Amino acid sequence: MEHAIELRNVRKTFGAHVAVDGVSLAVPRGAVYGVIGPSGAGKTTCIRMIMSILFPDTGSLSVLGRASALEAKDRIGYLPEERGVYRKMRVGAFLTYLAQLKGVSRETADARVPDLLERVGLKGTERTPCDELSKGMLQRVQFVGAVLHEPELLILDEPFSGLDPVSVRLLRDQVQRAHARGATILLSTHIMAYAEEMCDHVFMIHEGRKVLDQPMAGLRRQFDPRRILFEPLRDGADVSGIAAMPDVLQVEPGAGNGYTVTLVEGAEPSLAVARIAALVPPARIEIARLRLEDVFIRIVAGGGGLDEAAAALRSRLQAGAAEEARA
Amino acid sequence: MSPKKIALVAGREFMAAVTNKGFLIGLLIMPAIFGLLIVLMPRLMTSNATVVRGDVAVIDLTGRVAPLLRESITPEAIRARLERNIARALNASGVSGDAAARTGAMARAIGAEFRLVERPATADLAAEKRWLTTPPPDGQKPLALVVIKTDAVAPAAGGSYGSYDLFVPPNTSERVENELRDSLREAIVSARLATRQISAAEVTEMTSVVSQPSITVGGDVERQTATGFNQAVPFVFCGLLVFGVMIGAQTLMTSTVEEKSSRVIEVLLSAVSPLELMAGKVLGQMAVSMLVLALYVGIGVLMLSSFAMLGLLDPWLIVYLVIFFLITYFLFASVFGAIGAAVNEMREAQALVTPVMLVLMLPWLLAAPVARDPNTTMAIALSFIPPVNTLAMITRMASTSPPPIWQVWTTIAVGLAAACATTWVASKIFRVGLLMFGKPPNFATLLRWARQS
Repeated sequence: MEHAIELRNVRKTFGAHVAVDGVSLAVPRGAVYGVIGPSGAGKTTCIRMIMSILFPDTGSLSVLGRASALEAKDRIGYLPEERGVYRKMRVGAFLTYLAQLKGVSRETADARVPDLLERVGLKGTERTPCDELSKGMLQRVQFVGAVLHEPELLILDEPFSGLDPVSVRLLRDQVQRAHARGATILLSTHIMAYAEEMCDHVFMIHEGRKVLDQPMAGLRRQFDPRRILFEPLRDGADVSGIAAMPDVLQVEPGAGNGYTVTLVEGAEPSLAVARIAALVPPARIEIARLRLEDVFIRIVAGGGGLDEAAAALRSRLQAGAAEEARA
Repeated sequence: MSPKKIALVAGREFMAAVTNKGFLIGLLIMPAIFGLLIVLMPRLMTSNATVVRGDVAVIDLTGRVAPLLRESITPEAIRARLERNIARALNASGVSGDAAARTGAMARAIGAEFRLVERPATADLAAEKRWLTTPPPDGQKPLALVVIKTDAVAPAAGGSYGSYDLFVPPNTSERVENELRDSLREAIVSARLATRQISAAEVTEMTSVVSQPSITVGGDVERQTATGFNQAVPFVFCGLLVFGVMIGAQTLMTSTVEEKSSRVIEVLLSAVSPLELMAGKVLGQMAVSMLVLALYVGIGVLMLSSFAMLGLLDPWLIVYLVIFFLITYFLFASVFGAIGAAVNEMREAQALVTPVMLVLMLPWLLAAPVARDPNTTMAIALSFIPPVNTLAMITRMASTSPPPIWQVWTTIAVGLAAACATTWVASKIFRVGLLMFGKPPNFATLLRWARQS
């Protein structure tokens, strides 16, 4: 099957700095593909090369079957990391202008704008000058600009950064809507939780190099640690019975009153949950979700002896997430 | 390159420029300043002029000049003389119209009230000189001491006419001296004529010939020559070219810097190529400049036709103005656009723009010598050296001795080649610069980008 995006051994340097180093990538049509990695990993440079805004030093790429995105610009929707609008222009006129540049007729664009604005919670802002909107509102306006021409390929660079939870949900719904329409989505984010929720395939990049490129389902299988998070209803409850269960490998104290129960290879987590709950009444019991962050750190930091590097990386990722939360 | 996208970019650029309040103000400010100057200048000069008052002491060794000087030094006589002189000067320079009104205004502007104090012929010169520097506390301000020599009215046998000595205190205005000299001249000439029983009025009448303006004969129409018009045309055309180019090119730079600093550029580049963006912006601003030029030329033509002077203007000049405008505009606009794309904010653009501006202003500063002598080596050389060639050439073409046609076409050819080369280099800088953020570039960086891309 023809891919929506293909990068073949692409390399890009800025002076002495190697931003992207020999990256290959194939995004199938109709996929929701997540490009993840910490800030400065090379995500935006990759996306800019896909968009033909930057050109690779070596390697080749194709987008929607063309050798360059320049030949398929009208079929691509793009929300860049650097947001910008014409400050003096009215929202409606700005969006119509963008859509016209993408080959949509003025009439069609004018008809679509109010509906899309309403969907992202900006009903009735068509006549408002862009400089009267808040940063978060402008980000949603730009999102509308990226989907207004109903592109086959939607490239979103950090689409949720700086948005409040309600706006994040509104945009996520629109991404899913575009996906349902058949569009291929390429989504870059340094907040891995978003990628976990939305993507069916993740591509991890670290210091310009690809470190992972897998479907989420396979990732879950491969990295599933078979862990159960358990918190007894009564403080100081005896959990020694759990450790003695045949499915259980070990029981470790976790945060607060909780414990992390690790199962043996081949154990069925859902059965283990039922058994544990029957043994010690739980306040909370759940199968630990796969965390991309953990996968990422495990890949980057390697097997062992790199605890320090792993901790540094974790704090970097968490700092990024905290910053997002503050914004 | 998609012509449709270029047209869309150009359309937005045009609308954004002409619907801006600043544009309207900029459009009106030039004619407004000109109008204000024309209306206000004479008034400002009149209201600020002060009347000079003071004493003029005369030691008349002839005994015949002082009474006549008393008449020629009165404020009325001074004013009448001034009006005559100004009228003569204006007449000679060919300025007509409201010349009379202006003479009146200017004559009124220079006021003098001299009081003549006669000293005996035997007066002590040294004491009189002291009077100039140390005036009596109750008297008027001493302005001058005049000693009319004995042979001023009747020459000694075999000799020529004598004159006078004029002593003034320090910091005497030249205007006072000139007026005194004129009054003295009039009085002495009258005294000399009187000794030969010739009437001074008769001599004045006999020696004055009213000079007449020339009539320009052009085909079947004849009209009074407007000398001032011919002198003004080169400046007007050179100015229109400079101003038209500046309006478009500068707005182009500002809008590019804005697109870059507001980061809207990346969204645009996801829809259009850098070259399409640049082409659209250059064309959009060109339309703005053309609109401004059309407006100014239109107003000019209307004014000329209302004075029935339209026939004085060669319509081909306007055609060449448009051709030269297009060449000059493309050259400068691409440079301004590249600078706009290269910098992060307007402040950084200033350092790069100033030399370009100076180059654009140079022909305007040289317009006077080029228009006066349009066929000097300098004028001819300037009209072949881009980027000032078109500006120098339009000045020469609008002058009274236009250059041969081969020179005009050479200028156009050279200009076109320069515009193409500049646009080519600028487009490379534009492409690289658009997504470069950080350290503001210098000219060396710009050239490196051009080579790189």
